Amino acid sequence: MSRIVMRFTGVGGQGVLLAGEIFAAAKIKMGGYGVKTATYTSQVRGGPTVVDIQLDDKEIYYPYAIDGQIDFMLSVADKSYQLFKDGVAEGGTIVIDPNLVYPSEEDKKKYKIYEIPIITIAKEEVGNVITQSVVALAIANTMTKALPDDVLIETMLSKVPKKVHEANLKAYELGKKYALEALEKGPAK
Amino acid sequence: MSKKREVIASGNDLAAMAAVDAGCMFFGGYPITPSSEVMHTISDLLPKVGGVAIQMEDEIGGVAAAIGASMSGVRSLTATSGPGISLKAENLGLAQMAEVPLVVVNVMRGGPSTGLPTRVSQGDVAQAKNPSHGDYKSITLCAGNLAECYTETVRAFNLADRFMQPVFVLLDETIGHMHAKAELPTVEEVKASIKPRRKFEGDPKDYHPYEVPQDEPAILNPMFQGYRYHFTGLHHDRDGFPTEEKETCRKLIDRLFRKVDEHRDEIELNEEYLLDDADILLIGYGSASLAIREAIDRLREQGIKAGMFRPITLWPSPEERLFELGQKFDKVLSIELNQGQYLEEIQRAMGRKDIQKLTKTNGRPFSPQDIIDKVKEVF
Repeated sequence: MSRIVMRFTGVGGQGVLLAGEIFAAAKIKMGGYGVKTATYTSQVRGGPTVVDIQLDDKEIYYPYAIDGQIDFMLSVADKSYQLFKDGVAEGGTIVIDPNLVYPSEEDKKKYKIYEIPIITIAKEEVGNVITQSVVALAIANTMTKALPDDVLIETMLSKVPKKVHEANLKAYELGKKYALEALEKGPAK
Repeated sequence: MSKKREVIASGNDLAAMAAVDAGCMFFGGYPITPSSEVMHTISDLLPKVGGVAIQMEDEIGGVAAAIGASMSGVRSLTATSGPGISLKAENLGLAQMAEVPLVVVNVMRGGPSTGLPTRVSQGDVAQAKNPSHGDYKSITLCAGNLAECYTETVRAFNLADRFMQPVFVLLDETIGHMHAKAELPTVEEVKASIKPRRKFEGDPKDYHPYEVPQDEPAILNPMFQGYRYHFTGLHHDRDGFPTEEKETCRKLIDRLFRKVDEHRDEIELNEEYLLDDADILLIGYGSASLAIREAIDRLREQGIKAGMFRPITLWPSPEERLFELGQKFDKVLSIELNQGQYLEEIQRAMGRKDIQKLTKTNGRPFSPQDIIDKVKEVF
């Protein structure tokens, strides 16, 4: 496997950090290397947050994603999207929540942008807004085909409390379903 | 070969785990970004082994409590970031003067003052050399990867007890917060490496804790165990009582230097990466070395032979090795996330002023490309 570089962006408090840890841990469990770094601001909540995830079969030394080499980005906040989109490689994939992120027409030509209402799915279909990070995890994995679903799900379940296992499993299934639908429909024009 | 175990964690978590595995039984501190996870994790771990973690009223209280715990004979830790070291400075000087072992983990962030709380920097390297007023010799270790957040914390505890003084472990925001796999020595191996501090076993009336050879630290028995001595920040005599007698005062400070200087071989630790056939010497430490390593691999793909020297013990500096490298390499580039705090030491040790420098102080990490561009620009 060549290196997969992903970036999750949102605002502080949305729980984007956890998805990164799950990806890294799952890859390591499979005998590879995974690194997660997070950059955030000194605002407790509401500041732009970016999580970089790198997965590789070979050892990774430099822990940050290199701008221009990011294959996949997911964003649930417009100010973070605007700040960090430039790191995505031309033709790279970006998933946005269309209720919260507003890409320009130019962006839609430069990147493959898929619109999935991540927060609404978590809030209304799963019934727990906190599961948005697991919805995002499933979307990212479905789009990048980074890891086998079962390894990722097992790792995810080991990191969340038992009482929310069912909700998170549902969140993963829904994330995957919406991602497959989005892929079939094609990127936003 | 020694057995290894794999742990997935952040650098801050690894420092806390290392402290507990190394026998630390007390943590006193106050939360500060980007070091807070050290306190969170050790607050969870210490009670499980019968230890104590206290959040004090402020940074000063945190280090004072840790010093007090150490005086009673237990291994003791505080953790903070640069602004916290500024506040703790007075008490760190006390621990140097009275010879109280202590480990201080400093997860560096942008400064001066409150600076850039959530962003990376290596701006506390000069501070670690002399955090408080007065003359003494700092021991400062600097982790350059996740595994070293663990192993250097373990080493710091052994050095603190060996030399009876505070030992700094410098992490930075990148290393402290990055989350990945670390290969660590087993807990059994760590336990077997513990060298407890020396203790006087003779008749209490023959006990003079500060009456030791000129290149050795004081022998401070735990308080309240029948061995009485006085504890002060003033210049003191063999029993710790204040004195201004000129020869005693001279010998005390001389000994604080010599106990470190004359045992550098027990303290020094470096890494050398692809130096044997290199034409260009890159010097860096801490998280900057992660970008340097990647840059070296990419430069070599382009036929540019660079290598790295990475001090793991920053203070005392590896001055003899730096001098040798300064003789061997014409092209030397120092890379650090400050304005050149260690560059001055490299210049001193090499006896050269023509060292190139790459610095950054905007809270952002170096990218490998920053280093590649600089190498191509200056050499």
